[in-house]
Parts: sequence; C-alpha cells; structure tokens
Amino acid sequence: MKKGSWLAIVIALALTLTACGGGNGEKPGSGEKPSENGGEGGAKPNLTMLMQYSLFDPNADPVAKNIEDVTGYKITYEMLPAENGDEKLNLMVANNQNFDVMKLGAAQFYKLATAGALEPLDELIDSLGPNIKAAIKEDSWKSATIDGKIYAIPETGSGVSVGEELVVRQDWMDELNLKHPTTPDELYEVLKAIKAAKNVVPLTGTKDSIYGDIAAAFGVLNEWNDVDGTLVHKAELPQMKEFLSYMNKLYSEGLLDSEMPLNTAAKAIEKFSSGNAAMFKLAWWSASPAEAALKKNFPEAEIGIIPYLVGKDGKSSVGVNLATTWYIAVPKVSKLKEDAIKLIDSKLQKENFIKLAIGEEGVHHEVKDGKYYPILPKFNDDLANASSYMTGVNEHDYPTYWQARVRKDPVLQRYYEAFQENAAKGNIVIDPMSIAPPIEAVSKNKQKLTKLLDDAALMFIAGQPIGEYDAFLAQWKAEGGAEAVQQANDWYKSISK
Amino acid sequence: MPLKTTFSEKLFNFCNYFLFVLVGLTTLLPFLNLIAKSFSSEAAVISGKVNLLPVGFQTGTYMYVLKDAMFLNSLKNSIILAIVGTALGLFLTTITAYPLSRVQLRGRKWFLLMFIFTMLFSGGLIPTYLLMHNLGLVNQFPVLFLPAAINVFNMLIIKNYFEGLPDSLEESAKLDGASNIRILFSIILPLSLPVMATIALFFAVAFWNDFFTAMIYITNHDIKPMQLFLKELLVSSSSEFLKDNVDAALNTTPQSIQAASILLATLPILLVYPFLQKYFVKGVLVGSVKG
Repeated sequence: MKKGSWLAIVIALALTLTACGGGNGEKPGSGEKPSENGGEGGAKPNLTMLMQYSLFDPNADPVAKNIEDVTGYKITYEMLPAENGDEKLNLMVANNQNFDVMKLGAAQFYKLATAGALEPLDELIDSLGPNIKAAIKEDSWKSATIDGKIYAIPETGSGVSVGEELVVRQDWMDELNLKHPTTPDELYEVLKAIKAAKNVVPLTGTKDSIYGDIAAAFGVLNEWNDVDGTLVHKAELPQMKEFLSYMNKLYSEGLLDSEMPLNTAAKAIEKFSSGNAAMFKLAWWSASPAEAALKKNFPEAEIGIIPYLVGKDGKSSVGVNLATTWYIAVPKVSKLKEDAIKLIDSKLQKENFIKLAIGEEGVHHEVKDGKYYPILPKFNDDLANASSYMTGVNEHDYPTYWQARVRKDPVLQRYYEAFQENAAKGNIVIDPMSIAPPIEAVSKNKQKLTKLLDDAALMFIAGQPIGEYDAFLAQWKAEGGAEAVQQANDWYKSISK
Repeated sequence: MPLKTTFSEKLFNFCNYFLFVLVGLTTLLPFLNLIAKSFSSEAAVISGKVNLLPVGFQTGTYMYVLKDAMFLNSLKNSIILAIVGTALGLFLTTITAYPLSRVQLRGRKWFLLMFIFTMLFSGGLIPTYLLMHNLGLVNQFPVLFLPAAINVFNMLIIKNYFEGLPDSLEESAKLDGASNIRILFSIILPLSLPVMATIALFFAVAFWNDFFTAMIYITNHDIKPMQLFLKELLVSSSSEFLKDNVDAALNTTPQSIQAASILLATLPILLVYPFLQKYFVKGVLVGSVKG
C-alpha cells in the first residue's frame, strides 16, 4: 500500500519532469532563475549527494557555492565517515536513506550495483547527458558496466602518472664518489658502499609500499600483468620470487632497514630527513615537507632522484594503474534521478567543468606555454577541495587541468615532473585490468588477497625461506586467488577476440 | 605508626614509589611529547627530532587551529554536549536511583534485574542504529546524549550511596510532612554531593571523550563533536587513508597542527578536574546525624 503510493509519486514526478524538460532544450548551467525553466517544473529541486570522506565541511566550502552558481542546483552534501565508511554506507542503503547522487569507491559501487540498489543509467544518459557522453572515454564506460548496463559514471583520475621513485642523499653519493645505480646489482653495491662509509640505514622503506622501483626492475610491474595474452597476478609471477630473494639479501646484510615491515610513510620520511637513512622511495606528494625537513636539519644536503632501474631486458619499466577511481551512481531510492543526471551533465559541460576544476582564468589559474598554473592563494582558498566534489571528469582535458594542483608548490612540481620524465624514458606499462568492468571474484577478494600477499612478502623479505613461497602461493590461490585469476582471464579473453 | 621504619619497609616504599612514578610517566610522557610537538616547527617534527622539549619554537600552529572553523565548531558542540548531557544524565540517573534505593519499593528486585540486564546484554549495533533511525535521531544532535542519559553503572553507584544514608533522616523528614520528591531534593541530594560530583565527572568525561556514537550516527559537519573531528583529522592523514588518493595526499594536515588540535581539545576537560576535586575529599556526612 505504502510502497504503491510512493511508486505512483515517483512515476508522476518523473513524468512531469520529462514533460517540461523535453520541450525547451535548456542549456545546462544557464537556468539559474526558476522562470527560465518554464513550465510547472519550476525551480530546480534540491539534490542530495553522498561524498567520500575528506577533512572539510562540504556544505560550507567555496566549491559547493561555485557548483550551485554554475549549475543552478542547490545540493546538500553528506560525507561517509572517515573510518568504516562501507558499514555506514550499508546502513544508509538498508534504511533507504535518500540520496540523488553517490560518489562510490570500486568495491562499494560493485556491492550496491549487484544488490540492485543503483539505477541503470543508459537511457537517462542517452537522453539527458550529451556532455557526459562527450567527456567520458569508451574504455572507462566498461568499468561501470555490469551485465550490459551502465550503473555509474566512471571518474578516472589524473591520467598516466607515476607516484614514487627512489631518492638518495646526493651529497653523500658525491662525497663517496658513487654514481646512480642503474640495475639492482649496482644498487646493491651502492648500498654496501654507503653502509661501510656512513653507518646509517642505506635503504629504508615502508610496509605500505613494498613494490615499485626495485620490483619493476625484476618484472613485477602491476597487480595484473599480460604474459603472452594471459592475465597473471603479480603473486603468480616467477619474478616475484627473484624480487623477494633480492630484497631478502638486502635485508639480511643490513642494507635494507630492519624496521621496514613496521614503517609507515611518515616514519620513512623521518629516517631520511633526520639523516638516519640514505635512500628511500619518495612519493612526489610528500616531497615538499620531506625536502624542507631535510634541508632544515642539514642545510648542505641534496636529494638526488635515482632513475628507474633497468631490468634484464636493458630497459626500465614502470607500472601504472589507470583504473576508475570513483563511480558516480544514482540510487534507486532517488526521486530526482533525471535532475541528478542533468546536474552531472551540467558539471561536465566544457566551460563549467574547467570552472569547477581549476576556476577562472586570470583569477584562479593562468596558462603559460599550454600549461596550467594556479594563482595563489586564491586557488587554494577556493579550490583546495574541488576534487572531492567531482562527479566524473572530462577525460580529455582533466589530466592537463589537474596538473595545476601539482604546480601550487615548486618543490612538488619539480619532483612530479622529474618522476614523470624519468618514467617516460622507459616503458610505461598500464595494468591491463584498468579497463575491466567490476569482476565479482576480483572485487570481492581484492582486499583480502592484497593483505595476504603483502604480509607474506614482508615475511619473505624479513627472512622466511623463499622455498616456502610455493606453499604460500597455493594458500593464496585457495583463498580466492585462483578464482580471481580465472574470472579475470575469462573477461580478458572476451575482449581480445 | 611506628617511629622507626625498618629496612624492608624502606625497600617496600622505594619500590612502590619507583613503580608508581614509572606508571605515571608512561601516561605523562606522551602528553609532554605532544605539547612539545605542537610548539615545534613542522620540519623538526617530520624528522623525529622532538622529544620532550620543543625544537624550533613557534606558536603558529595554535593560531591556525584557533582560526579553524571546523575545530571551533566541533569544540562548541562538545561543550554543549558535555553540559547538556551531564545535566540530563545526572538528573535522570538520580531520579532512577532514588526509588530503587528504597527497600519499600514494590518489585524493586525485578526492576533492578531489568536494569542490570541492559548492562550485560544489548541489541547490537545494527538494531540500535535502526531504532535510532526510526526515532528520527540519526544525524540529530540529541542522539549524542539521549541514549546514554541513563547509565546503569552510574545509577548503581548512586543507588548504593543512597542506601548508605541513614534511614532515620528520611523518617524524620516524613514526620515533618515532606513528600518523596521533597525528601530527595532537600535532604538526600545535599548529602550526596560527593557522589554527584563523581558521577557528574564520569558523565562529563564520557560525553567529552565519546567519538563512537558520533561516528555511527553523525555525518552532518555542523553537529560533529570534538573527538570525532580529531579522529577524522588523524585518520585522514594516515597512510592507509592516503593510499591511492593523491588529491587527499596533497591536502594533508601537518603533524604539528594535529598535535596542537589534540592538545586544545583535551584542555577544557582537564580544567574541570580541579573544580570537582574538593568534593572527592570532603566528608559531607559528618555531623548530619547525631546520637
């Protein structure tokens, strides 16, 4: 009875909305005043959007005001909590709490979509989303398609970019007459020389970032790798064993920080900037505080960036994952699905999008040689949190726009650009699973398998005999790995035909 | 007390002091470290140079935190929560405890059992959430103190205290024609200030420190209390949270500012202790009953 009446209201509402939306062909972003919309639809309704957690007040941020000005929609934002976001989301969905737009992570999206909580969007996008269609590339749509239906607008990130690279105390290298290592073997010699001369931890690392440079030199590039047309998870790669043995050699000879299995990223920076470690893998986004701290402690210190190591094939390779980061979905409970799509469409309209992403030219950003630079402090004041509000990005332009964020700090920019440049000198290998749709066995087991593998990798690095790796691999497969590999390959075969 | 202390007593005292100082230090030192960090330059904090004294002294962190609208708003919420929650909690818990402390109450045992039952068993998180949702309390400020307003443990403490008061006080008041409510407020309560102060402190500290309730029920930034804000401040800077989230990594909060926030959030409740201290030591009952 109650359900029936709600359904009737929803249908009636949808009908009136299509009725008045169809005729006037309104331009998104133009109709701020109710009168412009015409008809009895009247003012644009208030929408509710669920965001991921970030440390700011989403309803008080200048970006929220900007979105309202640009699209004409008043939006109330709610954030998932910083911790246990998945549980909270489940509670809210189980309660039919009303949202019109939801920004979801991959696992959250898959769970809600398969549980039937999300609205298929194909028709809505076809009829109301010309800008959405123009902004999103064909490959990305696949990541949001389940059983042939699109359940979300995929939001990819900043394009191909690498995050981390080994850095070293260049002043020590110069003092000891050492050259940048180019292979794992040379790296070993350099670390040994540093240990002998300086009595510091030659190489530190963190439990959160085990792979990367060194692993890549051994051929452990991405989580999923294409080996002769078959998808192979990195856990299954024979190179994984070589990589772990090498790391174990460093560990047992005291060249690798014995606390690596415990270190957080902050701890690694602490060791490096306090002069207790000579080398570590730096993420460009932490470069600025790390360099400042080091220079404060040792004004004469220099940081050198070690080019990506060369593998057996004589070339350096870097793995990159281009997977969709966020999924913008419209839940079934929403009574304003059409407006939700109109809002997203309006935000992706070309002029609107640039305004929402990096502001107005001359006010928030400027263009020099085709590159976008932020104007500070206005850019930070108004746009620091712009990414959190994004509901899909213009995939053709955003990688260029986005770099304005990196250029708000010269140190940051220097490291970012150096890392990208170094990576471009070798192979950049994109994870073939980047464009995969959500695959059940993969999504379901991802967290568990990643933890299983990372924990084991740390154990092997810290001295567990590598001979036991096969036993571990069998366990990994039994706990869902085999199933994930199987289903991933089923998909991979279906697209390579 | 013996005039001379023997060697073994001295040794015992020494060991005692030594141990307690050690235990005391384990709680005090992290606090001092936090104070030092909050006054140190970020570079010194990042490179782990700060122990118990600030390195590169500065106060900019405090300026920053005290201007932060989210911090101030959550501080306001926590203060309101602590005051309203404590007042309401104390009132409801007292008027529950008083009847249960009277032996003449019919079905007293049964009522008590029901209360104690809730202490041992609860419906679990999800049913409780659904209940709050159906009551319309989710994302409402009262959800932070209403469900916790009666605390059975505190109620039992008050009840026991009431039971310890001499019956003759109540009898004499009855003879003078006082009603039950009058007896509670004019006779019993003035004699119960020590337990009231203790329980008030329990409530205030519990409300001040509670982040879990807010984490479960509150997503609206306007009504988030201090502890939830702190929790989020720390979580949003953790490497787990920042993994794969470059945009968040670009906006992390410096560690010295985190330290200053934590310290400023702890100060208010710390200031409450000295004012309640005197009630803990006072013997109120002395002289109230003669003969």
